[in-house]
Amino acid sequence: MTVELIIVSVPIGVALAIILGVARVYGNKAVSLVATSVVAVFRGFPAIVTLFIIFFALPDVGVYFSPYWSAVLGFVLVTGAYQSEYVRGCIQSVQAGQSLAAQALGMSKPQEVFHIILPQALRAALPGISNEIIYLILYSSLASYIGVQEIFGVARTFNSLNFRPIEIFLTAGLVYAAIATVCFLGFRLLERRFRIPGLGATR
Amino acid sequence: MTETNVVLKVEGLQKSFAGNKILDGVSFEIDRGQIKVICGPSGSGKSTLLRCLNLLTMPDKGRVWLEGREITNEESNANSVRQRIGFVFQEFNLFNHLTALKNVSIALEIVKKMGKDEAKALALKELEKVNLANDAHKYPAELSGGQKQRVAIARALAMNPVIMFYDEPTSALDPHLIGEVLDVMKKLAQEKLTSIVVTHEIGFARTVADEIMFMGEGRILEHGPPSQIIENPKHEAVKQFFRRINELYRRDEQ
Amino acid sequence: MTAFAEFLPYILSGMVWTLGLVAGGVGIGFVIGLFMAIGQIYGGNEVKAIIHAYVWFFRSIPLLVLLFLFYWGVFPATGFKLDPLACSIVVLGLRSGAYQSQIFLGAIMSLGDTQLLAARALGMSQMRGIFHVVLPQALRISMPGWSNEYATMIKDSSITFALGVLEILTRTRYVVNATHEPLIPYFFAGGLFLVLTYAGTKAVNIVYERTKIPGLVGRL
Repeated sequence: MTVELIIVSVPIGVALAIILGVARVYGNKAVSLVATSVVAVFRGFPAIVTLFIIFFALPDVGVYFSPYWSAVLGFVLVTGAYQSEYVRGCIQSVQAGQSLAAQALGMSKPQEVFHIILPQALRAALPGISNEIIYLILYSSLASYIGVQEIFGVARTFNSLNFRPIEIFLTAGLVYAAIATVCFLGFRLLERRFRIPGLGATR
Repeated sequence: MTETNVVLKVEGLQKSFAGNKILDGVSFEIDRGQIKVICGPSGSGKSTLLRCLNLLTMPDKGRVWLEGREITNEESNANSVRQRIGFVFQEFNLFNHLTALKNVSIALEIVKKMGKDEAKALALKELEKVNLANDAHKYPAELSGGQKQRVAIARALAMNPVIMFYDEPTSALDPHLIGEVLDVMKKLAQEKLTSIVVTHEIGFARTVADEIMFMGEGRILEHGPPSQIIENPKHEAVKQFFRRINELYRRDEQ
Repeated sequence: MTAFAEFLPYILSGMVWTLGLVAGGVGIGFVIGLFMAIGQIYGGNEVKAIIHAYVWFFRSIPLLVLLFLFYWGVFPATGFKLDPLACSIVVLGLRSGAYQSQIFLGAIMSLGDTQLLAARALGMSQMRGIFHVVLPQALRISMPGWSNEYATMIKDSSITFALGVLEILTRTRYVVNATHEPLIPYFFAGGLFLVLTYAGTKAVNIVYERTKIPGLVGRL
């Protein structure tokens, strides 16, 4: 279940992050304000609180999500908010000259953002985004407290049946670690593949 | 639409930034096939002028006509105006994530809605014109400054503009690379591509320009053929400027 | 709503535990992180290997799992009888040490060799040079990373509810169970964490600005 949860949440989370990042940089005052507030709330609330609100509190106002979809929604919002900070920063760090050149050729603003700014900004944001995704893998353990069948919850159940805490929790931990490490290496390869010769942070 | 020989007409252009008046009433015309050079001390508003003319910066006051149609009124679409003006920046501003070829072809595909193959073919042709067809697959970071600027020129040319603006195209280049860019610009000038060039390269102005416009204090202080402006100017500021430059050249010759 | 107002003081008093967790965790993490960063740069190959393993371990395993592993497993096995609060502080500290070591590492590396070389040229020993010249600058450069670590810690402290530590979230859950009204309490708790996070990062930023050395910029 953990893997499913992550595979679904990650792409939607990234998409949300791009939307929020673009909204904050290019949106008008109202749009930008909404985006900034969303980011502030979901970066300020602990992830577990967000999960609890979605699963336990929303039913009070008539909104019901299953455990699985509560978790997906919660993680999408949280990771999207954190990632949008990287996206926003990277958009702003793409040199102004790129924007001018695009305009000088007659590109409209949407064309400029989609074809020129975002391709460069997202490449630069990749390390930060992959970092957040690794965090997501680890925080998915919290979903067990809203009823999602995932690694930690299973471990806890095992432990209450056969009390061998060190073995059980160490194994559970190492499973997460394995998933996280594989993803980490995967992202390194991805970064390498998308690298433009000469373009990159000087160390 | 009247058939007109005047490609660009500027009237009373004014622009201030943070209370400083950068442009204080600039007016001039340029005919088809003419090459005009703008020079003057730094801060005289030369770059601002060019950027106002293609609406990258919006002027505060004044009017501009491109091929007889006013571009500074509300009906004009800035994007379509800029398609007809080629702009070459001092800092090149090549798109870093695209190859040289893609840099030239991308606007053709997105803005002019050309097919991919057609755009690629046209881009290759323009790169040939600037002697860079062999480096078409390279990324900007792999090119020298002179090569980058030539790609930038090709990129602007590909859009088939009616007029070219060059904003100090060689100021950011190492001295040994300036020549290759100036050669390309000379070739284009010989083909009678209407151009306005902001530059400090007096030698270029002397041989290529039809007219030099000298800017200072936000206005055109004096304009005329190169021989007049450089050797025999009337305005005091222009005299001083070229006197110093001539001294510099004479000192080098010694 | 009035029911919640009655329980408000109860939830707010959880702040003491929360801040205690954060202070303890960041504090322990600071010491561990500092030593590990120095070890990573100036230590031998075995030292570096151990540090790398440590950092990998505590950054790749979820906090929740670590808490259970130590509380139910490690501490009882080694004979230490730790209550949930103390255990949580230790685990948070060990984990924070892993993250802070990377912050300090980045800061020290961004200074380059030259500072230490200059110190040694003046006759300082390696240790003295590190302590008097490299560290003060590195610590300041680390501040932006720190405010990040603080923000993370405040929110992660809520995870200790799983061990029953009487911090903000645990208390909020008790209130929700008692009143059967989850909406307001959870939003309030979330808002409380948000305020604490914002106040803390703002405070670190102010210190950062006040101690600015002209020309020296922290690499973020």
